[in-house]
Amino acid sequence: MTREVSDLPDLHPGVSRDAATPRDSLIVSLLPVLVFAAILGGWEAWVRLAQVKRYLLPPPSAVVIALVEEPMRYIDAAVTSLSAAIGGLLFATVGAFALGVVMAHSRALERALYPPALLLKVMPIVAVYPLFLIWFGFGIWPRVLIAALITFFPVLVNTVIGLRSIDPAAHDFLRALHASRSQIFWRLRLPSSLPYLFAALRICVPLSLVGAVVAEFLSGASGMGQLILVANGDFDTPALFGAVIVLAGLGVSLTVGVSYVERRVLDWHDSYRGT
Amino acid sequence: MALTDTSPLIAPDADAGEAAVPAIDVRALSHRYASTAGEVVALEGADLRVEAGEFVSIVGPSGCGKTTLLRAVAGLLAATGGEVRVLGGAPEQAQREHAIGLVTQDPGLLPWRSVEANVRLPLEVTGATADVPALLERVGIARFARYRPGQLSGGMRQRVALARALAHRPRLLLMDEPFGALDELSREDLRLELLALWERERIAVLFVTHAIHEAVLLSDRVVVMSGSPGRIVADIAIDLPRPRTDALTSTPRFVALAAEVRGALRSGAGSAGARS
Ligand SMILES: Nc1ncnc2c1ncn2[C@@H]1O[C@H](COP(=O)(O)OP(=O)(O)O)[C@@H](O)[C@H]1O
Ligand SMILES: [Mg+2]
Repeated sequence: MTREVSDLPDLHPGVSRDAATPRDSLIVSLLPVLVFAAILGGWEAWVRLAQVKRYLLPPPSAVVIALVEEPMRYIDAAVTSLSAAIGGLLFATVGAFALGVVMAHSRALERALYPPALLLKVMPIVAVYPLFLIWFGFGIWPRVLIAALITFFPVLVNTVIGLRSIDPAAHDFLRALHASRSQIFWRLRLPSSLPYLFAALRICVPLSLVGAVVAEFLSGASGMGQLILVANGDFDTPALFGAVIVLAGLGVSLTVGVSYVERRVLDWHDSYRGT
Repeated sequence: MALTDTSPLIAPDADAGEAAVPAIDVRALSHRYASTAGEVVALEGADLRVEAGEFVSIVGPSGCGKTTLLRAVAGLLAATGGEVRVLGGAPEQAQREHAIGLVTQDPGLLPWRSVEANVRLPLEVTGATADVPALLERVGIARFARYRPGQLSGGMRQRVALARALAHRPRLLLMDEPFGALDELSREDLRLELLALWERERIAVLFVTHAIHEAVLLSDRVVVMSGSPGRIVADIAIDLPRPRTDALTSTPRFVALAAEVRGALRSGAGSAGARS
């Protein structure tokens, strides 16, 4: 079962990708790299020739130099932000999934629990973060909570939908056998919900990073947020670009990680079945 | 395929004292669905009796209440009027005794499980035991034991659904247009395999189909329904000898019976003003 790793939408739905010869497909896969190189080259040339001020727009080479000159500055910050983001995502996933199981259990419970859950979603994190700082101090916990808060709702909604999206024919078969609620839960509902859970996780990975970085930004706590804050104060634009690149890299690697687990767990699912 | 193996797969426990208890006894069954567009009378005053070990088909146009009737028998739907008895008790009692096997047009297999694990599902739920490899062999899917349902053709999936419905040794098999979504060749194969399987097991079967030919070939009795409101308009005994084979379909008696079923369908449809 070979398949494309790309999550990009197919821009040419009428054109079969399978029809391409190996040489064509090599060119096709090299094309984005070439385009990227052309953009960077053009950027570098323009900044140098037009003598654009470095604090306005540094050349790509300056960004690379900033990154390799002080690698630990970026790595430390990235590890801190990543810990808060992943920690928040884990807490949110466990908590939201548990609450989703309760809410999927009955419509009455769903109606009772939905308003407070919605409140969590609409709560502006910028406003509640100072409270978290007062309650939990300046350690990593307030940041973990912000990342959890921002990712809780998408996981909850998808869990409830997923647990309800069972195949009615399979449900009928189990009911005709007098299967218990827990048998139906473990054998049918839980596996049926996993594609929805992973869809939520893919949405939540970038959200959790944004949550962590915004929290660091607000409190000046260590991490990518603080790095950006300091670089901004120094008009150190190459470092700002470096931070953007590092954050993008974190987002991409987390997404790839989730996709990897998803492909292993959901190898039975329509969207992953080999053709 | 191991159709030559004659040992019954299902324990013949439906003997002696139980012989008198009908597998299905439906009296004056009515059902109304309340929908946003108003009430739909899906069934009105249906009487149906299926003896232990009897194969009964229901034919009728789309929307005449066949699925509603079958679901009421399976205990999946509480009908709004009338009485349903399954194996002498309420449908829920039959469920509790794990006496029902269900096959529907959409097989409802679990896509994350292999064929074999799908067939084991009723064993996990009921605690029953079965020789699963032999069962897979019997319905012609032993080769595909490790495949996932998504890797199989529609015909193979229905074989899996059939094996799954038989695994826990039900005494009543309910089939709702099980071959409805298949191409004609797979349909023919499955029909003959079901025939061979049933002639060995002899459990009670209620079989819903659109195909007159199929109903006559398989059944001891064909019940004809008509729609709006859904009711039973004819009950035709199929006195063809068993074991039956496809060759039977060209005999005058078969042709006459098929014509009789078709006639009942048409007159029922004529009075109701609806046909599929
Ligand atoms: N859940 C439902 N809600 C409302 N009406 C329904 C529902 N299920 C079936 N019906 C209606 O009841 C009638 C009988 O349906 P059904 O038993 O599925 O017929 P059949 O299986 O013979 O095609 C149809 O008119 C159908 O539209
Ligand atoms: Mg139907």
